[in-house]
Amino acid sequence: MGDPLTQVNALATSEAPKKEVSTGAKVLAWMADNGIFVLTAVLIAVAVIGVEGFASLQNIADVFHRAAPIGIVAVGMTFVVISGNYLDLSVVAQVATSAVILIAVSNEYGYVPAILAAMVAAAVFGIVNGVAVGYFKANAVIVTLSTTYIGLGLLRFFSGGSIFFGPYESPLASFGAGKLGPVPYSALVLVAMTVLLGLLLSRTNFGFTVRSFGVNERATRLGGTNTGLVIIGAFLVTAFSAMIAGFVLAAFSNTAVSSMSTGYDFRALAAIIVGGTSVFGGKGSVPRTLLGVVFVSVLTNVLVLLNISFGYQQMALGFLIATAVSIDALARRAGKK
Amino acid sequence: MSTPVIEARNVVKAFGGAKAVDDVSVAVEAGDIHAVVGENGAGKSTLMRILSGIETLDSGAVLVDGRVIENSAKASLEAGISLVHQELSLIPEMTVAENILLGSFPTTAGVTRKAEMKRIAAETLKEIGVDVDLDERISRLSVALRQFVEIARAVARKPKVLILDEPTASLTPAETDYLLNMLKRLADQGLAIIYISHRIPEVFRICNKVTVLRDGQRVFVSEIAKTKPDQVINEMVGRELQLDLQSRRDANPGEVVLSAKGIKAPGVSDVSLEVRAGEIVGLGGLVGAGRTELVRAIIGADNRTAGRVILNSQGKKRVISGYMSAIRAGVAYVPEERRVDGLAMTMAVFENIYLPNRRELGAAGIMRSGKMLSFALELANKVGLRPPQVKLEAGQYSGGNQQKIVIAKWLGRRPSFVVLDEPTRGVDVGAKAEIHKLVKELADQGTAVLVVSSDLPELLELADVIHVMRDGKITGTLAASEADEKSVMSLAAGEKLVEA
Amino acid sequence: MSQTQTIQLGTRTTGLWSKLKVTIARRTEGRGVALLSAVLIGVLLTEQTVFTAYSVTLSRIALVGLVALGLTVVILMGELDLSVASTLALAGVVTASIPDLGLGILAGLAVGVVVGLVNAFLVAVIGINSFIATLGMLFFLRGLALVISNEAPIKLNNVEAGIAFGQPLLGPITPRILVFILVFIGLQIFIARIRVGREFLAVGGNRQAARDAGIPVKRRIFTGFIISGVVAAGAGVMNTLERTAADPIAGSTVLLASFAAAIIGGNYLKGGRGSVVGTLIGAASLGIIQVALTLAAVQVPIQQIFIGLLLLVAVTTDPNNLRAVISSIRTLRTGRGKVVEPATSNRSTSS
Repeated sequence: MGDPLTQVNALATSEAPKKEVSTGAKVLAWMADNGIFVLTAVLIAVAVIGVEGFASLQNIADVFHRAAPIGIVAVGMTFVVISGNYLDLSVVAQVATSAVILIAVSNEYGYVPAILAAMVAAAVFGIVNGVAVGYFKANAVIVTLSTTYIGLGLLRFFSGGSIFFGPYESPLASFGAGKLGPVPYSALVLVAMTVLLGLLLSRTNFGFTVRSFGVNERATRLGGTNTGLVIIGAFLVTAFSAMIAGFVLAAFSNTAVSSMSTGYDFRALAAIIVGGTSVFGGKGSVPRTLLGVVFVSVLTNVLVLLNISFGYQQMALGFLIATAVSIDALARRAGKK
Repeated sequence: MSTPVIEARNVVKAFGGAKAVDDVSVAVEAGDIHAVVGENGAGKSTLMRILSGIETLDSGAVLVDGRVIENSAKASLEAGISLVHQELSLIPEMTVAENILLGSFPTTAGVTRKAEMKRIAAETLKEIGVDVDLDERISRLSVALRQFVEIARAVARKPKVLILDEPTASLTPAETDYLLNMLKRLADQGLAIIYISHRIPEVFRICNKVTVLRDGQRVFVSEIAKTKPDQVINEMVGRELQLDLQSRRDANPGEVVLSAKGIKAPGVSDVSLEVRAGEIVGLGGLVGAGRTELVRAIIGADNRTAGRVILNSQGKKRVISGYMSAIRAGVAYVPEERRVDGLAMTMAVFENIYLPNRRELGAAGIMRSGKMLSFALELANKVGLRPPQVKLEAGQYSGGNQQKIVIAKWLGRRPSFVVLDEPTRGVDVGAKAEIHKLVKELADQGTAVLVVSSDLPELLELADVIHVMRDGKITGTLAASEADEKSVMSLAAGEKLVEA
Repeated sequence: MSQTQTIQLGTRTTGLWSKLKVTIARRTEGRGVALLSAVLIGVLLTEQTVFTAYSVTLSRIALVGLVALGLTVVILMGELDLSVASTLALAGVVTASIPDLGLGILAGLAVGVVVGLVNAFLVAVIGINSFIATLGMLFFLRGLALVISNEAPIKLNNVEAGIAFGQPLLGPITPRILVFILVFIGLQIFIARIRVGREFLAVGGNRQAARDAGIPVKRRIFTGFIISGVVAAGAGVMNTLERTAADPIAGSTVLLASFAAAIIGGNYLKGGRGSVVGTLIGAASLGIIQVALTLAAVQVPIQQIFIGLLLLVAVTTDPNNLRAVISSIRTLRTGRGKVVEPATSNRSTSS
């Protein structure tokens, strides 16, 4: 084969990047990555121009107000999705639990014990989910399905299904109604969480290992990572985000009931996937989830303003998820060829 | 001469720019047991895949009974070519009978005719001389039995040609014995058998013809009766050796850095070895010898059932129990399959380099991108990554560069002990030389290096000491001065049958 | 080493006792049988009414088990079908929306077929992981059911037929129980004796090998999802008949119980291992537990916790997984390793 040493220079130029991707694959990949920006812009434009009642300050504030709890859950759950573990269905139980604990406990003992109790509950959720998925390597969908029912069962048992009311004009209620200029406090919390968790994911070693795990679990492990702890961490982040979301939700209405968080699982997932985070893991970011939240919230708002029933809204979200994942799957397949 | 049952005529197959099979012709007649031998990477497996139609050929033809057949799996099957996989193509929870007839259960209106299925299966098993409970599930069978069920499935199709690829790799001597007798019986009944193996004693025992492939080309073909094991081995390795003897290092090994004693693991039976500072220890042997299993057991990437590993670094001797503790203590592992174990292909080079170094580079767990980039750039230049664009996705680089990235990420840790498993597999000639240079530099700086390689020239060039493995044991140790390709290959392929 | 000798390398069992032992060892329903036995003993000691009120118990098992049976077929193939809960609700709503009962039932079952087709398309043709594909369908179909029913329960037109459906036919056996038994027998035969069904095990056990052996994997995936869809739709239709009304949000706990029944019964989530009989045993255990708890006046939330815990334990303690789990934990021992005394020692003890 010739003298290796003399061929080094000749081959130096052939070391350049070698992948050739078909145009079809490129288009798909572009759509998967950037489709959401275009869609959001189009949606907002359509909404402002075509939908009556959308463009008012009151309505916009309302949109963010309602988006906040789901958005907070979504940015937290992004960690689980990026790690390649599909999603955390138990956020439904976690949000309701947090809201009920906040109001029920604060009524008797004050806010600090309430918050501590909620933190304990969140930690338990996060650790149980994380250990089952990270150490026992069980399927995340089934595990979180079971913890949802365990959590909701516990909640309903202890709360008796009743509605808890916070005292009139409590600090919580004023927080829920408060605004900074035109921006509701809840939206500020959402933005703060996005910034915080975004930094956690993109700027810390922990976030790095979460993403690395999602891209290649084996290489991450062989690179010297305790992968079980990483997964526990991802589920803990989700749990604490759900906890905060529960606080915000409770602040809205100054009430808490075990059924108030229905649908949070798929709405958060829709926001995450639509925002461009891949459900296969490894690709995505927290700011993208925020964008997905904006899109989903605006879409829901538009549908409500157009008097389209809740059922259609659910269908729309299910369809969105299926489409977004399909594009991602096809883009991946095309890119691999 | 009668028409060969199966013939490959001037087959050529290239991957990328390299020819895996370069104008190879092989002819096998009914009743032949024709051995195809060669080193790892000589092109045997590719050729077999072409014959069985699951790999396309670029030019040339495959003929059965003198007629050219289409290059597809279906055509090969219909023509009577049956490839025996290595027990990876069985369904674990289905019965023996079902596995033997997989895909062709006898049915009436969709309902399986169980009695007939068992009858056919029983007949097939009788034909090959194996007695297994037909209702047993594959998952409960030993490796040897699974191999026999594989063969039964291939035979059940009533083929004209049977191709076996390293069938005795995981068998005990007694089981090997059994298999070889079985094959002889089948050949006597008129089956044409192609037998791929490294194991020269076996080849000389049952085969009547042998073809040697080297670097994709057919270099030797002969009747067994007219040749000797020595000659075959020579042909397997004999090449104009470009050993640059001046590049041989003057090794000055220091004290023992890694001491592994009594290592036992799946595929490894009682191995002990030592690596000194500044020394490059090579592990030679053929596929299935247990080298990768051994190194992974040593560093804790896989579990070992027995054995003690002590690492002597930073002035302290530590017992290495698990992988994480090994890494923390100064071990580095460049795995065999870089795409699966070594790199996150869709992440950037600097991110890949960051992964094992993150604790040291981060400030209390926070990433510092400036540091990450400069660190990566420095290492990328050190290993000669071209172009040194550390922000590019790792998957965008060629194999040789990818391997450099893997090495780079570990270099950053200044390890005291480095394991490299097939460091230049799938790497072009230029990068190969550069990687060799890197490994030698590493040793010159005092690192203890353990290299697993199937590439004999590479092994001979790099290693100061070579242990040759076979069947999970070290069959011999050669110092650099007394080692040559032939001696290594003899120890690896064995001139005698390994005693039970 | 004579030419004609055949070495006995396999397991040859003679004698009834060893034959029995081997048969048991080959089966996968071990955990399910263990749980069922424990449940039966527990109930025998505490809440014997479960046995005297056997019609209620049988009904409960049929309810829990029907969807689980269809699901088992998909799990054996190595896929999941999370959309069953919504398929159930949607089919019920469709049936109730059509005035003519016969047509309504057909339409409801047709829903199952269509859902199965869509699921299979997403999984086999587009290549989406079945978890996500069926999860998306779960949400989508839930919405569709709400839309069609205008978010309110729909009353069945032919109320008499509905009431008749709930009446026992023979002894305690109601039409629902009969359907359950028939579906069980049908699916068991399908998986055990019919070639297409048997090949499901291959598709789940070693998909590449199945492909290489010439099994049309994509076609099998379609068949599997259609079966699961139709069975879930059938369950929804029956629910509507028995309650004489269709509830668009029905089936929320069905998902949990069905997976629990299948997994407890020894069906491995990654596919290729398990049985329909196992699901039956798992469903029996769950049904009896539920009835016992209800009779003991245990509140619904506690029952939910119980079943949730069962599923959690079942899915984390799958024997196939455990081996991998134990080895992965062992190789991740952190720390830098025990320091050995600097004085060189000739220790030859194995660790």
